[in-house]
Amino acid sequence: MLKNYFKTAWRNLLNNKLFSFINIMGLALGMTCSLLIMLWVKDELAMDKFHANDSRLYRVMENQFFSGAISTFPSTPGIFAENVVKDIPEIQMASQFLWEEEPLFTVNDTFDKEKGRYVQKDFLKMFSFKLTKGDVATALARPDAVVLSKKLADKYFKGQDPMGKMIRIDNRENVIVTGVLDEIPKSSSLKFDFLMSFDLWAKQNTWAKDWGNNGPRCYVMLAPNTSLEKVNAKLKGYIKSKNKGSNVEVFLQNYGESYLYSNWEDGKPNGGRIEYVRIFSVVAIVILLIACINFMNLATARSLKRSREIGVRKVVGASKRQLIGQFIGESLLVSFMAMGAALLIVLFILPSFNALTDKQLALNFGDASFWSTIILLTLLTGIISGSYPALFMSSLKPIVVLKGALKINPSAAFFRKALVVFQFSLSIILILGMIVVYRQIDFIHNKNLGFAREDLLFIPLEGELAKNFPTFKQELLKQPGIKNVTSASSSPLEVGSSTQGVTWPGKDTTKLILFSSNPISYDYINTMGIQLVNGRDFSNGYGTDTLNYLVNEAAARKIGYKDPVGKELTMWGDKGTIIGVMKDFHHNSLHVPIEPLILRLVKKDWGYGSFVIIRSEAGKTKQALASMEKMVKQFNPGFPFRYNFTDQEISKTYKTEFTVNKLSRYFAFLAIFISCLGLFGLVTFTAEQRTKEIGVRKVLGASVPGILAMLSKDFLRLVLIAIVIASPLAWWAMHKWLQDFAYRIDIGWSVFVIADFAAIAIAMLTVSFQAVKAARANPVKSLRTE
Amino acid sequence: MIRLKDISKWYSNGSAKAHILRHIDIEINEGEFVSIMGPSGSGKSTLLHLMGMIDDPSEGEYFFEGESVFTLKEKQRSELYKKHIGFVFQAYHLIDELTVYENIETPLLYHKISSAERKAMVADILDRFQIVGKKDLFPEQLSGGQQQLVGIARAVITKPKLILADEPTGNLNSKQGEEIMDLFTRLNKEEGVTIIQVTHSEKNASYGSRTINLLDGKIAL
Repeated sequence: MLKNYFKTAWRNLLNNKLFSFINIMGLALGMTCSLLIMLWVKDELAMDKFHANDSRLYRVMENQFFSGAISTFPSTPGIFAENVVKDIPEIQMASQFLWEEEPLFTVNDTFDKEKGRYVQKDFLKMFSFKLTKGDVATALARPDAVVLSKKLADKYFKGQDPMGKMIRIDNRENVIVTGVLDEIPKSSSLKFDFLMSFDLWAKQNTWAKDWGNNGPRCYVMLAPNTSLEKVNAKLKGYIKSKNKGSNVEVFLQNYGESYLYSNWEDGKPNGGRIEYVRIFSVVAIVILLIACINFMNLATARSLKRSREIGVRKVVGASKRQLIGQFIGESLLVSFMAMGAALLIVLFILPSFNALTDKQLALNFGDASFWSTIILLTLLTGIISGSYPALFMSSLKPIVVLKGALKINPSAAFFRKALVVFQFSLSIILILGMIVVYRQIDFIHNKNLGFAREDLLFIPLEGELAKNFPTFKQELLKQPGIKNVTSASSSPLEVGSSTQGVTWPGKDTTKLILFSSNPISYDYINTMGIQLVNGRDFSNGYGTDTLNYLVNEAAARKIGYKDPVGKELTMWGDKGTIIGVMKDFHHNSLHVPIEPLILRLVKKDWGYGSFVIIRSEAGKTKQALASMEKMVKQFNPGFPFRYNFTDQEISKTYKTEFTVNKLSRYFAFLAIFISCLGLFGLVTFTAEQRTKEIGVRKVLGASVPGILAMLSKDFLRLVLIAIVIASPLAWWAMHKWLQDFAYRIDIGWSVFVIADFAAIAIAMLTVSFQAVKAARANPVKSLRTE
Repeated sequence: MIRLKDISKWYSNGSAKAHILRHIDIEINEGEFVSIMGPSGSGKSTLLHLMGMIDDPSEGEYFFEGESVFTLKEKQRSELYKKHIGFVFQAYHLIDELTVYENIETPLLYHKISSAERKAMVADILDRFQIVGKKDLFPEQLSGGQQQLVGIARAVITKPKLILADEPTGNLNSKQGEEIMDLFTRLNKEEGVTIIQVTHSEKNASYGSRTINLLDGKIAL
C-alpha cells in the first residue's frame, strides 16, 4: 500500500516538475529560515547556562532612586562582596567583577594591552571556567595572582611553562601566573583573556571602597536550597544599613537569566535580548506558515487534476481515512525532500549567517536531539501543509468526480483566497517592519548628535602621556592633519559618571537630582564641535576657570535659572559660576534621552582625564593617524598605539539594531519570495483552468491587455485586502519596537505607500508572467485541446 | 439480489424540480446479465450509480441482498459495496501515474490482501486477460481496448458478485467492443457474475439476458 502511494506521489512529482519545484523550493526556503532561527534561538537560550552552579549563581542588581524615577544597574560598592558574605549566611560566596579593563602587560621585550577582568578569590569556584593548569580553588587566592588564557600564555611564554612566571602590569606592579584557562565555552557571555585580583585594582581606585560609590559588578552564589525571596528581603535595606542616607537598594537576579533579561524599567524586569528571541521565533513560524500555505494552496488547486484518481480509488474501495493517509503521506514526502534541500542550503549559508549574527552556530549532525528536532519539524510541516488538501480531496464525491463535471467548490475557492490573503498580509507586515527598522537605523546613523562625529578620534590617556598631556598636546598640534586636541574623563560615546553633588541657591533639597559630569581640559567645545547657546567656552585667558561650569540646556532647565550665564553653581563643594550653556548634544546612545550635563575643567591633582580627543582636518585622516602614532610612540614608548574613530564606535553601539536591520531585510525578502512562488503557482493553475475561456474570449475579440486585466484583477483584489489587514498590525508592532528608542522616527504614511506599492508590484509582476503567456496563446490551439 | 423500490431522484433548481428518475421499481436476480438502454438524459447512468451506491436518490428504497442500503451508515455501505461490486467506466478511469500491474493491484490494497497473495492474484488475472506483456506499461501507452481490458481486470480482481459497467464499449471500435462483450459474457456464464451494463447499442444489449428501457426517468414498458 505504502509503495503504491509512494509511487503515485513520486510519479506525480515528476510529471509536474514546475509545481513540484515550487512546492519543494517554497517549503525548503521556509524551513531554511526556521532552521537558522532555531539554531540562533537555541544558542541564545543556552547562553551562560553551562555553569554547574547555574541555579545558585546570581548577579547583584541595584535600584537607584533619583527624581522620582528608579534606575536599575548591575553595579555595587567595591566592598560589597567581602561584606555581604560575612553578613548574610545564605550567601555562600561572592566576588566583585570589574568591567573590562585593558592594562599593559610586559614580559621582557614583549608588551601589549590585554583585555580581561579583575575578580575575587572565589570566582573560579563559583563559575565553571576550567583551568588547564593550576587549581581553581587556589589560583586567585593571592593578591598578585594572574590567570591567563591559553592565547596569552602562548604569547608571553612561548614554549615555556607559564606557571609561577612574572608579568609586569602597567609598568607598576608585578603579578605571578597561577593558572591557565581552558577555552571559554562559546555559550559564555563573559569573555576575558586574563583574571587578576580585584584588590590589585582597588589599590589604585580607592573610591571603590566607599559604600556611597557604585561601579563594579558583584556575583554571588547562594547556599544550596536557599530561598531567593528571603535573601532579597535581607538585601533590600543592606546598603542603607552600611551607609545612612543612601538611596539605593540591591536585589539578586539569576545569573543564567541576566543575559536575556537585561532591561529594567521602574525597578522591574522589562525584557532585553529575550524580545529578539521572541520576535525571531515568531518570524520563523510565520515564514514556515507562509510556505505551508503555498503547499496547501497549490495542492488544493491541483486537486482538479487529481480528482479522477481520487474517484477511481474510492470506487475500487479506498476509504476516506486511507485517502487522507495517502495525501498526508504525499505531503510528508515533499516535506522530507524540502528538509533535505533546506539542510543543504543551511550548510551553505551558515558561515555568512554566523558572520552576520556574530555567532558560531553549527549543524550538529552527530546529535540525536538535533535529528529528532529536524524530524519533528519535518513531520509537523508535512502534516500542517497536507492536512487541508487531504481533507478537501478525500471528501470529493466519486460520482461527481467521475462524471468529469467537477466544479470548483465555492467554499474551497474562498478558503484558497483567504490563504493567499493571509500569506500576503504576513509578507506585507514583514516588509513594513523592514522599512521601519531600516529608517530608524538610518535615522540613528545620520542623526545630528549635536556634535560633529566625523573626523573625531580618541585614544586612551595613559602612561607617560597622562603626566605630560599639555606638552603632548602642543607637540601634536604642530603635526600635519591635526586640527584640535583636548582631553576628557569620558569618551565622546558615553558620559558614564553622574553625581548628585550639585547645589545652587534655591535648590529644592528634598529632591535628588542626578547630573552627568565630565571633567575636561581646554578646547573641548571646539574639538567636539558642540554649539554654545549662550556665554563662552573655557579659556586660558581667564585665570579662575577651574571654578567655572558649562551646562547643557537640559541641565539649565533642571536648575531652573532663567538666564543661567553668570549665575552661581556648586559642584563637589566648589562654588563657581556658570559661564555658558551648550546646545543639547547626545552624550549617550539614542536609546536614552539627553540627560543634564555639567562640564568643568580638570583640577591639577586629578590628572587630565582618561581620553585624548582629537579632531583631524577633514580628508586628512591618514596624516592625522600617522602624526598621532609618531607622537604617542615618542611620549609613551612602552605602550602600543590604539585609536578609535568616534563615528565607527557609535555605529558599534547599535550592533544589535544593525543585525536586526540586516536580518529583517533577508526575512522580509524571503517571505515575499515564498508568497510569490505560491502566487505564481496559483496563477499558472488558473490560467490553465481558463485556457478554454481565454480562447473563446479571444475568438470573440478580446485583446491581450483585456485578458491580462481579467486574470490579474482577482489577485490584485486579494493583495489589496491583505494590505488593509496588514497595515494596522504592522503599525502597531513597529510602534512598539520604536518605543525602545528615546529618539525615533515617525511611522509616516510614506512607509505604507512604499510597502504596499512594493507588494502590489511584486504580486502583479508574478501574476503577469503567467497571465501574459496565457493571454497571448493562440486561441485555435487552446480550443483544440478540448 | 437487487431490489429498487419506488426510487426517484431530482435536482432542485430554484423552485422548479428537475426530475432524473421517477418511481423506478426494479428487481435483478443473481446471475443475470442486464442491459439498461435509453436515449441521452434518460437517467441510465444515474440509475447505475445508484445501484453502485456511489449516488443517493431523493426518495425510495434499495435492498442489496436483503439489506436496506440507504439506511446503512456510510462506512457499512462502503464495506458492502467494496465487497460485492466492481465498476467499469466508459472512460476507463485508470490511474495515469500507475502501471497496468499497479492499477490492477490497487483494489487489493484497499481489501487488505497480503503481498504474496496480491502477486498471485494479479499474475493470474494478467494471464487470463492475456495482458502479461503489458504489465509494466502506463495507461497512456495502451490502446483504448487494452485500457478497458485493464479496467475490467481491475473490477473483477476482487471477485465481486456484481459488475456495473457504464457504456464500457462507448469509446471503442466495434472489434474491440466485441472482445469486451465476449469477456463479459464469459464472466457471466462461467463465473456466475451478475452484470448490469448501460449501453446505447442494441447489439451490445443483445449479449444480455434482459433489457430495461428508460425514457425520461421512467421505465418504458
